[in-house]
Amino acid sequence: MLARLNRKFGYDERSAAILVFPVVAVLLVVAAYPILYSFWVSLHDIVLTRPLRRPFVGGDNYLRIFGDERFWLAVSRTTVYTVVTVVVTTVLAVLVALLLNETFPGQRILSAVLLVPWATPSVVNGLMWKWIYDPTYGLLNALLLKVGLIERYRAWLGDPDLTLMLIANAAVWKQMPLAALLLIVTMKAIPDDLYRAAKVDGANVLQRFVHVTLPALRPGLMLVLVYETMISIRHFDLFLIMTQGGPGDASFTLSWLIYVETFRSLRFGTGAAMSYVLAMATFLLSWAVIRWLGKRI
Amino acid sequence: MAAITCEKLTKRYGSVTAVDRLDLAIGHGEFMVLLGPSGCGKTTTLNMIAGLEEITDGTLRFDATDVTWQPPHKREVAMVFQSYALYPNKTVRENIAFPLQLRRTPRAEVERAVADVSEQLEIAHLLDRHPSQLSGGQRQRVALGRAIVRKPSVFLMDEPLSNLDAALRLSMRSLIKHLHQRLQATFVYVTHDQAEAMTLADRIAVMRGGLIQQLDTPDGIYSRPANTFVASFLGSPPINLVEGEIAADGRFARGALRLDLPPGAVAPGRAVTLGLRPEDVAAPAPGLASLEARVTLVSPLGSETLLEVVAPGDVALTLRVPKEWRVRHGDSMTFGIDPARLHLFDRQTEARL
Ligand SMILES: Nc1ncnc2c1ncn2[C@@H]1O[C@H](COP(=O)(O)OP(=O)(O)O)[C@@H](O)[C@H]1O
Ligand SMILES: [Mg+2]
Repeated sequence: MLARLNRKFGYDERSAAILVFPVVAVLLVVAAYPILYSFWVSLHDIVLTRPLRRPFVGGDNYLRIFGDERFWLAVSRTTVYTVVTVVVTTVLAVLVALLLNETFPGQRILSAVLLVPWATPSVVNGLMWKWIYDPTYGLLNALLLKVGLIERYRAWLGDPDLTLMLIANAAVWKQMPLAALLLIVTMKAIPDDLYRAAKVDGANVLQRFVHVTLPALRPGLMLVLVYETMISIRHFDLFLIMTQGGPGDASFTLSWLIYVETFRSLRFGTGAAMSYVLAMATFLLSWAVIRWLGKRI
Repeated sequence: MAAITCEKLTKRYGSVTAVDRLDLAIGHGEFMVLLGPSGCGKTTTLNMIAGLEEITDGTLRFDATDVTWQPPHKREVAMVFQSYALYPNKTVRENIAFPLQLRRTPRAEVERAVADVSEQLEIAHLLDRHPSQLSGGQRQRVALGRAIVRKPSVFLMDEPLSNLDAALRLSMRSLIKHLHQRLQATFVYVTHDQAEAMTLADRIAVMRGGLIQQLDTPDGIYSRPANTFVASFLGSPPINLVEGEIAADGRFARGALRLDLPPGAVAPGRAVTLGLRPEDVAAPAPGLASLEARVTLVSPLGSETLLEVVAPGDVALTLRVPKEWRVRHGDSMTFGIDPARLHLFDRQTEARL
């Protein structure tokens, strides 16, 4: 038996297998098992208020979700939030990367400062922005009043038209630095001669950006878009801390719906099914971005 | 066509002076080579001519126009880089067409120009490939194509052949020479390879430490080097330099070594460095100075033979002799040297005497 294994897999493969076994084992327990178990849950009608009856219902949970208007509301809120967050994060990251890729006095310090929001824990970031937006002692009110843009204090997060954008703003604040850092690294790898050649060929600043920087940035942009989409579409912390889905249903996103369904209504079956839909959507979107940007490298 | 005039051209990076008050006049349609070791300021000079590097001090003129402060695209120069610097996401066709597109050239005209250039450079079959699918030699041809397509009056080349292997370098060298003859444009060509400089140049500017050491035709540089640096930078194998002085009888002396010099060349007693090119030896004959030496190494090259010899005074020399000479290791032999072909330099200033 061992001899046959030896023949089939060489010595190197076997030592490699032995060395990665602990990691694989841990992953099986903490990742594969929950994933499979939650799928099993999503096929059953499990409600914690009647824990003993958990009949198998097949795809019924999924069908029920798609007929639920709360689900479609959450999809539209999530879409708006994700598109705004990803687009703003990416555009800002490109601009910041362009700025920090230049050499100027203070550039190193600025690069270091840039990473502070990224290093801030998500919950701290949420609390910080909640305070900034606070209707009675918030910084935003104080600032806007001082420069004369508003006449009296406002309850920013209480405005349903603004809530989602204000949360997106807090998310961008935290997520942009890492994206910018990734793009800076990609930019540093662009050979200087390319810019020199483009200058001699007659390209102005904008044309150099379009014809030299942007094509070289594509792998970095792809990474940023995929990563930011994955983060934003599943984002939960800020919604929990800042608005809990409100005011009304203004920030009622998919992750919030899943939380409510699972841990407030205790309907684990549909909650798990929703999680699976969200996971699939994330996967498909990432795949589309990779296909779209990846094939043209 | 354009003549390029550099007057006291200077480039400083903080406390480093990369190019120091450089005066250089390059004629219409001339092939000028900037030659020198790494770090001597060749690239910096070229970049200043291109407008890629701000000029710290001095004046740069194209014909009568002062272009010191003009941006690169206004100068109508084309540049070829050692790294090729092709746009990796563009095809060969798009790379060559790019400078024309930036100038809003009509489409039909662009197509015609690209076809024409790719024909000349024999890259027509590569037009739809990307740079990553080309060999080094093909890439440099594309880079040349991108340079010549808009018919500039000045071509700037920064070590364009340094990344190519030896055989390819030879064929590209002649391609560039043909291009120069056909285009009748002004070429400024940077290299650290003396053979490249000798074969391509109308005139060579030999540089060291941001200064021009000598500006002359290849023949002038080779046969009348202005100082020991220029003398030893050109020629392969390099020139033999022997330190010594002028004896009372007017001959060169170093220990037991005595060599006849042209009469009255230098006053006796002066400390000098003698230069002898390896090929400047012949069989002993009347009218030639004679040099006794013992052969320590024989290296046949096929077309000729390299000898390492030790002359009196323990002076080691490298000599190049016809392959017909039957020389063996350990032989003692006499060589004839034409005094007029010897080079004398001041030992202190290193300048030619
Ligand atoms: N951007 C720069 N900053 C500081 N020093 C530089 C810079 N570019 C070149 N130098 C210095 O200027 C000198 C000439 O450089 P360069 O023109 O590139 O030499 P070459 O092309 O002859 O090898 C070198 O000593 C180099 O270190
Ligand atoms: Mg250089």
